[in-house]
Amino acid sequence: MTSPLITGYVAGLRRDLPARMADEAASGLLDTYEQHLAAGAGEHEAARDAVADFGDLATVVGEFTRQAPGRRAARLLLATGPVTGACWAAALLTSRAWTWPVPGAARLAFGTVLLITALALLAAATSRHRYQRTRLALLAGPVLIALDATAVTVALTAAPAFTRALALAVAVSLTRVVVTARTLPRLAAR
Amino acid sequence: MRADAQALKGHLDTLLLASLENGPRHGYAVREALRERGGARFDLPTGTIYPALRRLEAAGLVDGAWAEAGGRRRRLYQLTPAGRRRLASDRASWRDFATAVTALLEPAP
Repeated sequence: MTSPLITGYVAGLRRDLPARMADEAASGLLDTYEQHLAAGAGEHEAARDAVADFGDLATVVGEFTRQAPGRRAARLLLATGPVTGACWAAALLTSRAWTWPVPGAARLAFGTVLLITALALLAAATSRHRYQRTRLALLAGPVLIALDATAVTVALTAAPAFTRALALAVAVSLTRVVVTARTLPRLAAR
Repeated sequence: MRADAQALKGHLDTLLLASLENGPRHGYAVREALRERGGARFDLPTGTIYPALRRLEAAGLVDGAWAEAGGRRRRLYQLTPAGRRRLASDRASWRDFATAVTALLEPAP
């Protein structure tokens, strides 16, 4: 009953998008197709016109991806990077963080996880055609919270004195924990 | 046509909200409403309506629910109270803007 062109398109939607979105778009495509059939077009012609009306698969998947909540959240969290980084750099330098009793391996691990998290957020923020990539924000978010919490805990326990720069960095990190924690449930629900 | 499509994108949210003002519709009917009332210049690829509706839903301006219609499941969208408020304020600011531009563009008497 349905043209192979439509079946193939729907399969593409199911492959490239989460189920709910694929269902919505597929139902819209079928509406478009049926409209052309009702207007008297043959099966093949109706399918071709429906796809032309609807937009090709890459356009539709790209539009879902561009508007994905994960992509927006990743952009927001990435934007906090420079300010948070600058505050911590100032705090760690003025507090001579290299003299703190923190093992080298722990410093290295922290730096590595931070770098991977930033790269994951960058991948989610810049995804244009791959919806799945925007879901990386959902993984990166909790890790970012853990990183901020770790930085705050270490600063509060290992720093010899609580300087003003350190207080600012801690405040910025705690604010980001709140922002990230409020963003995550919205991502998980989608 | 491309320029019109670009201009439309900036106002798409408001136009989508307006198309739902008189009751729930499914995506295809939203697109038909845009086409009927806006003419061919507001003819977007139908497929791009769905991501926009989904974004409005995520923003709490539109509520979507699956319903059985014509032997198939379709997602019906309707305005939330927040969506209604947004539409009213968008409409007011558009009218102000349009009035100002018209006043500037009309030839002086």
